Amino acid sequence: MTAPRTQRRPGPGFRVRLLRDRSLLLMTLPAVLLLVVFNYVPLFGLVTAFQEYDPLVGVWYSRWAGLEQFERLFSDPLFWGALRNTLYLSFVQLVLFFPIPIALALLLNSLISQRVKNFIQSVVYLPHFFSWVLAITIFQQMLGGAGALNQFLRSNDIGTWDIMTDPETFALLVTAQVIWKEAGWGIIVFLAALAAINTDLYEAAAADGAGRWRRLWHITLPGLRGVIVLMLVLRLGNALTVGFEQLLIQREAVGHDTADVLDTFSFYYGIATNDYSYGAAAGLFKSVISLLMIWGANKLAHAFGEDGLYRR
Amino acid sequence: MGIELNRRRFLGLTASVAGVAAAQGLLSACGAGGGPQPVGANSDSLKAVLPAHVPNPLIKPDIPSVPGGPDVLTDPGFLSYPTNRPVTVPSVPGRGGRYTAVTPLWGTIPPADNAFYQAMNKALGVTLEMKPADGNNYATIVPTMTAAKKLPDWIQLPSWWDTNFNIGGLAGSQLADLTPYLSGDKIKKYPNLAALPTGAWRAGAWGDKLYGIPCFAGSFNIAGATFYRRDVLEAKGITADQVKSMDDLMNLGKELTDPKAGVWAFDDVYRYLYTHFGAPLKWRVDDGKLVHLYETPEWMEAVEWHYKLATSGYMHPDALAGDNEAAGTRFYSGKTLISGGGLGAWNLSDHQSGSAANPAYRRGAFNIFAADGKSKPVVYMGATTRMLSYLNVNLKPEQIEELLAVANYLAAPYGTAEFTMVNFGVEGVHHNMVNGVPQITEQGQKEVQATTYPFLAAPPAVIQNQGADQVTKDYTAWQAANAQALVKPVFWNMNISMPQAQATADAAQQVEDTLKDCYHGKKKPADVQAAVASWKSGGGDRLKQWMTENVLDKFGTGQ
Repeated sequence: MTAPRTQRRPGPGFRVRLLRDRSLLLMTLPAVLLLVVFNYVPLFGLVTAFQEYDPLVGVWYSRWAGLEQFERLFSDPLFWGALRNTLYLSFVQLVLFFPIPIALALLLNSLISQRVKNFIQSVVYLPHFFSWVLAITIFQQMLGGAGALNQFLRSNDIGTWDIMTDPETFALLVTAQVIWKEAGWGIIVFLAALAAINTDLYEAAAADGAGRWRRLWHITLPGLRGVIVLMLVLRLGNALTVGFEQLLIQREAVGHDTADVLDTFSFYYGIATNDYSYGAAAGLFKSVISLLMIWGANKLAHAFGEDGLYRR
Repeated sequence: MGIELNRRRFLGLTASVAGVAAAQGLLSACGAGGGPQPVGANSDSLKAVLPAHVPNPLIKPDIPSVPGGPDVLTDPGFLSYPTNRPVTVPSVPGRGGRYTAVTPLWGTIPPADNAFYQAMNKALGVTLEMKPADGNNYATIVPTMTAAKKLPDWIQLPSWWDTNFNIGGLAGSQLADLTPYLSGDKIKKYPNLAALPTGAWRAGAWGDKLYGIPCFAGSFNIAGATFYRRDVLEAKGITADQVKSMDDLMNLGKELTDPKAGVWAFDDVYRYLYTHFGAPLKWRVDDGKLVHLYETPEWMEAVEWHYKLATSGYMHPDALAGDNEAAGTRFYSGKTLISGGGLGAWNLSDHQSGSAANPAYRRGAFNIFAADGKSKPVVYMGATTRMLSYLNVNLKPEQIEELLAVANYLAAPYGTAEFTMVNFGVEGVHHNMVNGVPQITEQGQKEVQATTYPFLAAPPAVIQNQGADQVTKDYTAWQAANAQALVKPVFWNMNISMPQAQATADAAQQVEDTLKDCYHGKKKPADVQAAVASWKSGGGDRLKQWMTENVLDKFGTGQ
């Protein structure tokens, strides 16, 4: 992509721009402050990852440990188990969850009746506002060992179906829960993108004899492509974040070696046992990998001529 | 000075915004600047300075205490609120001093300088500025105070946060040594404090000196029991004393379970049953050598039994799925009939919740038994109290004496005039007497019922459930029946602060996780054994060595 760039004219000076944009800059100030206070300042805590941090003596007096915590981490089978679970869950969710909001958005978009559309949209949005505790309780009440389904099977002398506590199918269960809870919320951005597609294109295509599928393939999907790629890049950047509460709550149901992901690993083997440095090391590892992944995914998006996170 | 100030302010900002425990130590290091105190245990020589114990027989309980072994006494039971309310502190204890006090509060903070505080100040003869702080954030609030060396004059520091607060390091540097005022017969100056059980003073001792003032001390302190639905079992003609061994319990499970009706016999029971197999609470001494729970064959036996239980089909599926929050609801609704739990559950509010679900509701607990049904039943005692208040080291001796006199007022026994004042406020304002029972008013609910003063000092525990005498009778009878089974564990009431690596090994997260998976049927006992093996090599053995060298060899076992 080496499109000829327009010659950049020398813009107004820094001061002039500052003066001109002062209202805009002021408006961003609270957000920047929040970012600094809640995202950048706590970064200093990362220093504990290179220490044998002891809360009794504090950061200044804790022993420097160099890369000791990382050596411990990389030789800990529980850590590799958590990483494996994270990547596996992330992959399953990418394949099974990611396309669903897109499909739902297309489906909703094809509905004519605004009332039906609004109704369906409200129904699928609603679970997003439930907490995970509530969502999992509902699943437990319906599908759990003593839930509605199994009590029905039991009273009819049909064998019970172990859904909530089977480690083998845990990834599917977790993904099903995510779909139930978040798919409706996920369609918002795609609906917005659909609304931005010029309806003249559809009319012109229809006039040229293009059927429903051809219109979808040649107009709708290309129109959505930018947004889909953006969401994919963001998803990949978050690949190592597969949910904390959801897994924390169900950890006992399937056992720690099935349910532990990097976030719960840091919690249980770092914070919960006062082994802060170890938890910090695991957290830092996760952040570095996530940064690399989002960088790589963005590069890839640019290579395909998409905007990715920002326009190059 | 300017630089110091800026650095502290900057770090203060970091600590408050990071919101993670990792940042907590930042400040304490700046402020205190002290090194780690590896151990603050209490040796047998502590016994020489322990306060004398002078029971206070002013009010006769309806159900008197029953003694067990050494340091064991069941809690007295009261069926009605005492009508004659003796005065134990005849003159106003204070001499007009001004003090601040900080206590945790799990509830709505009462308005400052309210009518109750004013009445209390008048009764105490001091101006005690009460500053209750949110109990849920207490563990993060206190370290900022200790870091700035700005502790109030009087503060409650619950012992389950000892590590967060670094009490071992604060004792002597920021918290006042009370030994010169309370040891031996000196405590007789404060008769209500002298009536507190001796074990409670041990729980507040660091490095063989007295620091903590006990609140809610009890001489029948065990972690919990195995509860059952007495109404349901008795309707089936089953009584608790028929269960004398683990086999009996398993058979009972078979009898009670009816999945089609949605009833399973058991909820989680491991936590209060494993010691029945002869396993120690955490440590024991075999031939002079320290042995950890995980190393004992008795514990493995317990693990195997619980695995068998988990796979037997007698445990509720939701319990196996780790849904602990709903355990109470399952028990009340009769979906489970046997469940382990803390003894604190056996009270009026439990009776009310249970009766709301089923009017016949009655909680019972199995007597402590030995797994084989033949050995002597044993249950290990916990700390005599886990709530202790401390005085500021900067107070002058006469100020300490004044506050101890105030503590003496606050520790007046159940039913006395002082107790009524501290717990129910002023008659006509905060409570009205209805049939001899103080009935709290709306103002009383706001100002008095939010627990504040009892977190500074409180009398020994009693059992009373006004309006549910059956609960009081059942619970006191159960304590009396089991008093002989109570035994002091190794390191009883000893305060031990360990270095980080040992604390991590002590928590043994991986073993505990695998154990939980095992008694929920997800992992086999062999997996637990494997986890124990990796725990031993990964720090467990070093923990044992550290405990042997720094605690057992130096301070003994705390018997």
